[in-house]
Amino acid sequence: MRYILQSEWYKLRKSKIIFIIFTSPLVGLFLGLTTQLVNEMEGNEWYLSLFTMNVTYALLFLPLITGVLASIICRYEHQEGGWKQLLALPVTRGKVFVAKYVLLMFLVLFMQLLYFVAIYLVGWINGFTDPFPMDIVWKSILGGWVATFPLVALQLWMSILFKSFAAPFTVNVIFTLPTILAVNSEKFGPYYPWAQPFAMMNVGGNVGDVFFIPWEQLLTVVGGSFLLFFIGGYMYFQRKPV
Amino acid sequence: MEYVIKTEGLTKKFGKETAVDRLDMKIRKGEIYGFLGPNGAGKSTTIRMLLGLMKPDSGMVRVFNKDLKKERIHILKRVGSLVENPSYYPHLTAYENLEALRKILRVSEARIHEVLEIVRLSDVAHKKVKGFSLGMKQRLGIAVSMLHQPELLILDEPTNGLDPSGIIEIRNLIQRLPEEYGMTILISSHLLSEIDQIATTVGVISKGKMIFQDSIHAMRKHSRQTIILKVNDGKRAEHILQGKGIYANYQDSMLLLSKLSDQKVAEIVRMLVQNGLAIYRVEEKQSSLEDIFLQMTREEA
Amino acid sequence: MLRQLLVADFLKIKRKGFWLLTFLGPLGVVALQMVNYGLRKDYLLQQSDNDWEYYLSNVHSFTPLALILGIAIFTSIIANIENETNAWKQLVSLPVSKMSVYLSKFTALASLLLVSSILLMVFTLLFGVFLDLGEEIPYVELFQYSFYPYFAALPILSLQLWIAIVSKNQGIPITTGVLGVVFAYSAYYLPDWMIWKWPSLMNAWGEPVVNALLGVGLGCVLYLVGMFDFVRRDVK
Repeated sequence: MRYILQSEWYKLRKSKIIFIIFTSPLVGLFLGLTTQLVNEMEGNEWYLSLFTMNVTYALLFLPLITGVLASIICRYEHQEGGWKQLLALPVTRGKVFVAKYVLLMFLVLFMQLLYFVAIYLVGWINGFTDPFPMDIVWKSILGGWVATFPLVALQLWMSILFKSFAAPFTVNVIFTLPTILAVNSEKFGPYYPWAQPFAMMNVGGNVGDVFFIPWEQLLTVVGGSFLLFFIGGYMYFQRKPV
Repeated sequence: MEYVIKTEGLTKKFGKETAVDRLDMKIRKGEIYGFLGPNGAGKSTTIRMLLGLMKPDSGMVRVFNKDLKKERIHILKRVGSLVENPSYYPHLTAYENLEALRKILRVSEARIHEVLEIVRLSDVAHKKVKGFSLGMKQRLGIAVSMLHQPELLILDEPTNGLDPSGIIEIRNLIQRLPEEYGMTILISSHLLSEIDQIATTVGVISKGKMIFQDSIHAMRKHSRQTIILKVNDGKRAEHILQGKGIYANYQDSMLLLSKLSDQKVAEIVRMLVQNGLAIYRVEEKQSSLEDIFLQMTREEA
Repeated sequence: MLRQLLVADFLKIKRKGFWLLTFLGPLGVVALQMVNYGLRKDYLLQQSDNDWEYYLSNVHSFTPLALILGIAIFTSIIANIENETNAWKQLVSLPVSKMSVYLSKFTALASLLLVSSILLMVFTLLFGVFLDLGEEIPYVELFQYSFYPYFAALPILSLQLWIAIVSKNQGIPITTGVLGVVFAYSAYYLPDWMIWKWPSLMNAWGEPVVNALLGVGLGCVLYLVGMFDFVRRDVK
C-alpha cells in the first residue's frame, strides 16, 4: 500500500496539479478582499470576513475543485493505456483505488491549509486588531475537509468511469448548484451531502457542536453518503474492463 | 509435465459474441511461444485474461502452476507484460515512467538504467515520452515489462508499427532472453513471418478457438510439397496423366502435382516423354509457413 | 464552406450529450425554482408586491451560474472531441481554412446556448403561468432575463473556447470555469469591467442592455483573439 501511494504521488507531482491547488488561497484572498461588507456587527471583526469568505468557498469552490482534482489523478491513467499497465502489476485494484482516494484527501487537506493561510493574510492586509479566533477557524478548516470525504469519493468514481473531464464535472455541477437553495432550507439542507461543506464551515453555526453541526448529522449524512459513494466507486473499479 | 501457463476451457463472451472459445493453452518453461491469429481472433482478450485484467466467463488459468484467480498478486510479481499498444504516462520522461513503476515493483534503481540500456533508450531517458516515435514507445514498453526481471514475459504484438530494423532488433533481443535470463516468453502476432524465426512453439487461434498448438517443426510438416512440371504442351500432358488416374492441375503453363514419391515422379516423366512431350523443367516447391498459417485460418473460417 | 463545417460539427457532437445539456441547463434552472416555490410558495409571495418580477429575479439568480458552468462544459467537450482522437491534424488537413474551423466550433456552441436561452424563456413562462402569479405577464422582462445573460456571456464563451482548444490538459479550462462561477456568484462585489459580472446584468447605470451590448462587442474581440492565436499555432 505504501509503495502504491509513493508511485501515485510520483506520477501526480509531475502533472500540473500544484497550480490547481494554489487556486484555493487565491480564491480565498479574492473573496476576502473584494467582498467587503460594512462591519456593523458587534464583536470580533474576523467573524464577518470569515463568514463572507466561507460562503462562496464552501458552497461552490470546494465541491467543484475537488472534482477537478479527482479527474486529474485519473487523467494520465486514461490517456495512453495507464490502467492496463498499472493493473498488470502485482497490485490489487482495491489498493489502487484506496491509494488514489487517500492521496486526494491529502491534497484537499493541503488546500484547506492554504486557505487557512489566505484567511490570515486577509486579516493582516485589512489590519484586523481583534484576536484571531483560532478555535473557530480551525474547526471550519477541518470541518470543510471532513465534509468533502463523500464528495471526493463520488468524484473519484465518476473520474474512473469517464475518460473526459467534462462528464464527471457535469455530474458535479448538477449536484453542487442546488446547494445554494438547499442551505436555505432547514428541512433539506442538513440532509444534502453537497451542503455539508457549507454547514461545516459556517462559522455562524452552533459553536458548541463539533464542526458546527450535530454529531448525528455528521455520522449519518457525511458518513452515510461517504460509505455509499466510496463502496460504489470501489465496486465499480473492481469490475471496470481495462 | 510442468507448464508455465496452462489454461483449460478458457471462455470470454462480449454480449452474444464469443471472443475466446474453450481455449486450452499450454506453455512450457523456456519456450518462446508464438501466439498467432488474424486480427480480432481473440489474442488480446486471451492475454488480458492471462494477466487478470479481464475475468473469464468460464474456464481457468494456471500460471506457474498456481490458480490465477487465487494468487494473482504472487503470479504477477513474476510476470512482465506489454499489452497491445504500449502504455505510458505521456507527461513523464522515459526514466520517470520506469521510476513510477519501480516504486511498486521494488527493484533497485540501477535496474532502470539496465533496462534502458537493453532497449537502447539511455540517450533519451530524460525526454518526455509524448514526443517519442512509435518504435521508441514500443521499446519503452518492453523495458517496462523487463523491469523486475520476470520469469515470464507476455508480449502482445510487440513489433506492431516498427520499421524492419526495429523488428529485427526486438527479435534478436527476445531470442536472447530464454538463454541468458531463463525467461519463458509468450509473444503474439498476426504475422507468422515476424516470429517464425524465433518461436519454438506455436499456437494458432482463429475465431476464438485454438486450431493448432505444437512445435514449429510440427507445423512445418504440415507443409505440402508440390512438384511443378514445365512442358511444351501442358493441356495434352494434363489429359494424358488424367487418363492414367493421376490428378494434375494445369495453370499458368505449369503442371502442378501434389505429394508424390520420387518413384512416381520418375514414372510420370517417363510417361510424358514416351508420349512425345518435351519436358523443360521439373521443380519441387515447398509452401511457406505463412501459406500454411493462412490456409489453417482460412479453413477454419 | 462554413455550412459544411457546421454540419460536420453538429454530426460530431452527436451522442456526446450536447442536446441533453442544452435542454437540461434551462430545465435545471427553472426546476430549482419549482422546488423553491413548491416548498415555500406562501413565504416567497410575501416577499414582494410584484410576484412576477420577484419570480423572474429568483430564476435569474441561477442563470449566470448555469451559463458559465455550461460554457465550461461545452467548450471542454467540443475541444476534447478533436483532442482525444488526435483529429485536429486530420481536420486541418482538409481543404478548409483554420479560421473557418474555429468559427464553426464557436457558431455551433453559440447556437446551442441560444437554444438554451429560448428554452429558458419557455420554461420560465410555463412555470410562471402555472404558479398563477398574476394576469399581467411582463414579457419584456421575461425576454430580457432570458436573452441578455446569453449575450452578456459571449466574452466568456470566446475565452473558454480559446482556452479549451489550446489546452492539452482539459483540467485548465475546467478550473477556469470553476473560478468563473466563483466570480459570478460574487458578482455584486465585482467591478464592472470583470466579464463574469456581466451575465448578472448588474452595472453602475442600472441598465441591463449595456451588459448585453458590451457582451456582444467584447465577445467578438475575444473571439478574434482566440481565432488568430489558433491559426498561428502549429497543429500537433
